[in-house]
Amino acid sequence: MRLLLVEDHVPLADELLAGLQRQGYAVDWLADGRDAVYQGSSEPYDLIILDLGLPGVPGLDVLAQWRSAGLAIPVLILTARDSWAERIEGLKAGADDYLTKPFHPEELYLRIQSLLRRSKGQSNQPTLQAAGLHLDEGRQCVVRDGADIHLTAAEFRLLRYFMLHPEQILSKSHLAEHLYDGETERDSNVLEVHVNHLRRKLGKSVIETRRGQGYLFGGQAS
Amino acid sequence: MRSIQRRLSLGLISVMVIVGLVLAQTSLWLFEVGLQRYLEAGLRNDSESLLVALVRGPQGLQLDERHLSPAYQRPFSGHYFRIDFSDSHWRSRSLWDQDLPLLDHPGLHSNLQLGPGGQRLLVLRSDYRRLGQSISISVAQDYTPVSDSFLRMRQIGVGLGLAALLLILFLQRLTVRRALKPLERAREQIAQLQQGQRSQLDDQVPVELEPLVAQINHLLAHTEDSLKRSRNALGNLGHALKTPLAVLLSLAASDKLDDHPELRKILKEQLEQVQQRLNRELNRARLSGDALPGALFDCDAELPGLLATLNMIHGEHLALSYVAPAGLQLPWDREDLLELLGNLLDNACKWADAEVRLSVIERTDGFALSVEDDGPGIPEEQRAQVFSRGTRLDEQTHGHGLGLGIVRDIVDTWGGLLVLGESEWGGLKVVVELPKR
Repeated sequence: MRLLLVEDHVPLADELLAGLQRQGYAVDWLADGRDAVYQGSSEPYDLIILDLGLPGVPGLDVLAQWRSAGLAIPVLILTARDSWAERIEGLKAGADDYLTKPFHPEELYLRIQSLLRRSKGQSNQPTLQAAGLHLDEGRQCVVRDGADIHLTAAEFRLLRYFMLHPEQILSKSHLAEHLYDGETERDSNVLEVHVNHLRRKLGKSVIETRRGQGYLFGGQAS
Repeated sequence: MRSIQRRLSLGLISVMVIVGLVLAQTSLWLFEVGLQRYLEAGLRNDSESLLVALVRGPQGLQLDERHLSPAYQRPFSGHYFRIDFSDSHWRSRSLWDQDLPLLDHPGLHSNLQLGPGGQRLLVLRSDYRRLGQSISISVAQDYTPVSDSFLRMRQIGVGLGLAALLLILFLQRLTVRRALKPLERAREQIAQLQQGQRSQLDDQVPVELEPLVAQINHLLAHTEDSLKRSRNALGNLGHALKTPLAVLLSLAASDKLDDHPELRKILKEQLEQVQQRLNRELNRARLSGDALPGALFDCDAELPGLLATLNMIHGEHLALSYVAPAGLQLPWDREDLLELLGNLLDNACKWADAEVRLSVIERTDGFALSVEDDGPGIPEEQRAQVFSRGTRLDEQTHGHGLGLGIVRDIVDTWGGLLVLGESEWGGLKVVVELPKR
């Protein structure tokens, strides 16, 4: 999952970046509204966390510009402006969720999690379910038939992406775009290694390889 | 204060009546005096003719009948005389059986004496000496026709005066009403202002009202402006304080403090206290209260957006609905009312299983806003506790308590009442009763 964080307060952005990375998200960070208008619509993000008090272009204007350009990515507004009048403004500008500062980091993680599931058409259960697997995003492990299977951070990130997009063919470049932030070098061999690790832990049939097309997760009813 | 219209009418009536009476009375008196003087000249003439007619006859003095006016011969003709000698007196034939009394002293007597046939007479007594005798001649003329016509004149005058007074009053009312029309319009506009139907007074007014209207408009604009500015400043302050607070909260939750659980606990507790205090006070400071008379909340325009926002925050599984009369407008500041309803509904959404309903009812003396949910509700014995004076609502945990602190602040500012009850679904029903403004 690749997120864009637009926040001009550097210490908070640092904290959020570290926290979100621990949660297994690839995060790009921007501090200026003008950059956000451009980068938000040019990179394939899965979710955007947007502060409203931004230099350059105000957050609400950034959001309005994205929406008028047809950008459908879920946007979570993160702001200190907590009056209901302002929340309604945010919704009207096209936000999908609204979290007011200060907040507990867990609250933010839960909101991101449920917003991602909602945007991918998944119901909001305690765990993410697909192909007979239950992914516990809090503990970053997968449960199958009541048995925990531990995952490394990279495996968790890959599996979560697969489970949010079950029965879809995902190319290697698509996966790389959504699993790594803009500054990480993308090596498709590393992806293959992680896919192999997942197959070893969860069974070969879970992830199919479609030659020349990419991977297919949960293709067979199991 | 009495109305200006009434005061002007009363003032005008009294001035008109006093001036009219004095004027009419004085002119009548002057006229009468003039007339009597004219009649006196006639009477003196008559009396001198009588004197001339007194001639020495065979038996002493006698009246020369030829020189007498025939009016003295015809009974009750209205012209009479009496000639007094030292030992006797003669009367005119016209007096018939009546007696014309001798006046005490010479001169004109206009305090009219009742004469023959109920006639009122104007009498002139003149004293002469003739033929070695002192003679006193009194000539009288019937004054009744003159005083009758005076009476008629006075009646006509009074009638005319009354009619003129009524006409003037009517015209004055028209004029005053026309002149006061801008004032009346301003009064209506101020009423509309209070009901929230307008935000400024019309500035097309007469010169006299211009400063008043301009000042009111200026004050309104100033209040609105300073409210906006202070809200903005509070927003900035909140932003400046809450962002570092978010950093601290995040730090307190980070694994760097895993080795110091005590420290983490204290940090979290203190930060939460700061956060709650900050939220409560900032929210309270944002309230406009009664500062803006022109404020208005359009239910149909605002409520769907509010409910959609709540659905976004709490998830689509909640069925949020509202019941309000079509086109209802509540006379309170939009942001304040959104804050009130937002907090009430937010609280209801936290506890509800599937349904939350907002109803707005207009009563004769105010409005009732009620928010119901189908959650667990509050047992009756604990409801009172929530609002008893000792309970500090701001001490309740954010997100878990009732979160009614700001609601209570708003309701208190508006002089309303907050009542907890049970909804038809068994959950909590919060009713806010607000008096009309």
